[in-house]
Formats: sequence, C-alpha cells, structure tokens
Amino acid sequence: MTQTDDKPAVQITSLNKWYGAFHVLKEVNLTIPSGSRFVICGPSGSGKSTLIRCLNGLEAYQQGTVTLGTIRLGDNARETALARRQTGMVFQSFNLFPHLTVLSNCTLALRRVPSMPRKEAESLARHFLEKVRIPEQADKYPAQLSGGQQQRVAIARALCMNPRLMLFDEPTSALDPEMVKEVLDVMTGLAHDGMTMICVTHEMGFAREVADQVVFMDQGSIVEQASPSAFFATPNHPRARSFLNTLLH
Amino acid sequence: MSMLEIWLGILQGFRVTALVTLYGLVFAIPFGLIFGVAQYLTTGPARFVVTSVIEFWRSSAVIILLFVFYYALPLAGLALSAMTVSAMVLGLNIGGYASQAVRAGLQALDRGQKEAGHALGLSRATILLRIELPQALVAMSPTFINQLIQLVKATSLVSLVTLTDMTFRAKEISQIEYDPVPIYSSLLLAYFIVCYPVALFGRWVERRINPAREARRAV
Repeated sequence: MTQTDDKPAVQITSLNKWYGAFHVLKEVNLTIPSGSRFVICGPSGSGKSTLIRCLNGLEAYQQGTVTLGTIRLGDNARETALARRQTGMVFQSFNLFPHLTVLSNCTLALRRVPSMPRKEAESLARHFLEKVRIPEQADKYPAQLSGGQQQRVAIARALCMNPRLMLFDEPTSALDPEMVKEVLDVMTGLAHDGMTMICVTHEMGFAREVADQVVFMDQGSIVEQASPSAFFATPNHPRARSFLNTLLH
Repeated sequence: MSMLEIWLGILQGFRVTALVTLYGLVFAIPFGLIFGVAQYLTTGPARFVVTSVIEFWRSSAVIILLFVFYYALPLAGLALSAMTVSAMVLGLNIGGYASQAVRAGLQALDRGQKEAGHALGLSRATILLRIELPQALVAMSPTFINQLIQLVKATSLVSLVTLTDMTFRAKEISQIEYDPVPIYSSLLLAYFIVCYPVALFGRWVERRINPAREARRAV
C-alpha cells in the first residue's frame, strides 16, 4: 500500500450490512484522513463495533466499499490480506493467545508474516512492550497479568506489525476502572506519535482530549460527525444530546 | 502351576499387547487429528463425507469389524495380517472418538482467538496450527489419555483373530490348567499394571501444561 497524503487512510462509501433481515449498517459514508484520530460512539446496538470490524475484514458486508489507503477491501484476496496486515486491531476482550508468553504473543505474527528472524522479532517486541510500559512482563503468560496489562500487551502486539492504522473496539470496556487510565495513557501516547486511530469507545474524556472528530452512530447510521469541542458543546441530533446526558451524569 | 509361572506366561503376551497399542496409535493419532480438523473446517457436502467416515469407524462394533476385516476380506482377495487388521480397526475406532474431542476442543475456543490471528494477518493454516490446535489439544488432553487407556484395554479383543496377546496367553494357560480364578485375576491385574502408568503419565502431562491451562481459565 503506497499511502500518499492525499489518499485518506480509510474511505467508507455507502456501506450497508444486514444480519438476516436486520439492517445493522445503513448507508455509512466516512472519510478518515491519514494521521487523524476518530472516536466512534453511540448507544449499544448502534452498529459501531460492526462498522469498525468491517474495516479489517472481520465482518462481511453486502453493499458499499471500504478503501484502506489505495486498497479496496474484497477486490483481491492478496491485497486484502496486505491491507489487513497494515491495520492493527485491539479488541474489547484483549484476545491474547493464552498458551503463549507475552513475548511470543508479540512475535508470533512477526515470525510468520514477514518471517523475521527470532532475535530481531524479539528485540522489536521488547521495544513495543517498553513503549506500553510493561517490558518486565515479557516472559509471563497472559493470565498472570491484570486486565490493563493484558490490553497493553494487545496494543504492543498490534504495533509490532508496524500498522498504518490502528482500530480499537471498546478497548477499555472490559477493564476495572483503575486500569482504564493506564490503557488510555498508552493510546494517548500513540495519538501524539501521529498514528491514525479509529476508536470505538465510551471514554468521553479521551474523545475530548485526543480525537480530531467524533462520530455518533444510532441505529446503524452516522447521525452526527463533529469536532469534539462542537460535539460536546452543542450536539445537533436529539439522540446525541440524550446519549451525552446519560453518559456525563 | 505357581502364581509366578502364571505371571510369566501372561507376560509372554505383553509384547503383542504393546505392539497392537503402538501400531493402533499410528492409525488413531493421524485419523483423529485430520478428521477432527476436517470436520471443524468443512461445510456442506465435504462435511457430510468427513462425518460419514468418522461415524463408520466410531459407530461400528470393534469385534465385528475385526471379524469382517480378518475373515471376510480375504474372500474378496484382500488378505491383511492379523496385526495390521487389529491395529487398523482398533486404531481407527479410537481415532473416531478422538476426532470428536479434537473438533469439540476447536469449537470450544473463543471466537476472538481466530479473529486476533486474522487481524494480525496470519494465514488460516497458521491460525490453526499455532493458535487453535495447541489450545484445543491441551484442553482435551485428559480425554486423549482416556482414549489411550481404552485402546490398551481394547487390545484384549485381538486374541479373537489369532494374535498371542496377554488375553490369548491367559486363555491358553487356563485351558491347560483348568484353574481360571488365579489366571484371570492375574490377567486383570496385568492390564491394570499396564494402564495405570498411562494414567500417571496423563496426570504428569496435565501438570506440565499447567501455565497455559490457567491462562485459559482467566481469559
């Protein structure tokens, strides 16, 4: 993927998806410029997780196009795989590999996809574990870590693949309150490094501080898109207003 | 005949019991792995074919399969040795059971494991070999040990197709001595002595893989 500045990191056009008869994504259009941070929020069942999962091919869709850089997903299996490799994903439930150590979680894909030699892969993995501030946990198993630490390993694992785009699907929703901050701090650091990020999250403090744009979804549609200052000060859509009211009080 | 002589007599059959078990594993392990994985991955007509093969071996009575393959196939021009027939029939029967443990182990994994692999750009084969199978096989290891013990005990049937295993020897001795109680008690004990170390081995395996198992529980 040759990504030039004029090509958006993600271009979603007329995306429609149905689960059987249920229309889960309705005519979604969204352009995410390279280097920007988008926060997607909305009530549960609004389709925000489904949308973000469409961006790396974890969900199929029936209509519309998703273009990552210059690659249109689904056109060509090899290119789609390439686009996927250049997209990091962090899940709500971490999805670390429980049978592998923290270090091996990070090196597994490096050793396979670019077939990097072990030494090189391990030093890269240790570099990113340092970046998420848990270098000392490298030889432990995921179950020996706290939730916040596990999610930071998941972020490091994704960063090892040198992604151009990072997707976060409710990364802090499964965490105890005191662990939310350590994960958000790592994400904020990433944003300051210039990573293109799309985060589905209910952490409005994070959205306010880090996001360039807030996207509000309701019943499968994007009903509002605005800068955080505009979105939090004067949400236009009544659904967004009531959502913010319940969230902030 | 002293107990020692009975014991030594039965022991002469140990080699055949052990060989049938080992050769049986040569059939059982690949069959269980390949067909369990195939049943997990396939859909539609392909899955029907895979399931049919599994059901044939799993749902047939072993003793009848032994007779059919040993006594009936030669009539169709295909004569296999008693050892081959025994290893194949016992192995594929146990392999049929094992395939279901393999499939269930794979299906029980959290969907997020496969998704995380995909998100990292791993191929389907790598996800299966490096992420799914290691976890599924570890989770199912107590079942596999069970099936290994069942295989050892099932080898007692091969005495019916002329193989001189421990059971065959016990029957021979019994026919000479007309004293079945000590002979068959010794035979019972002999199988226990063979199987119990397998059970201990199973416990040792479970202890060794403990870190990964604890990880599974917590995630």
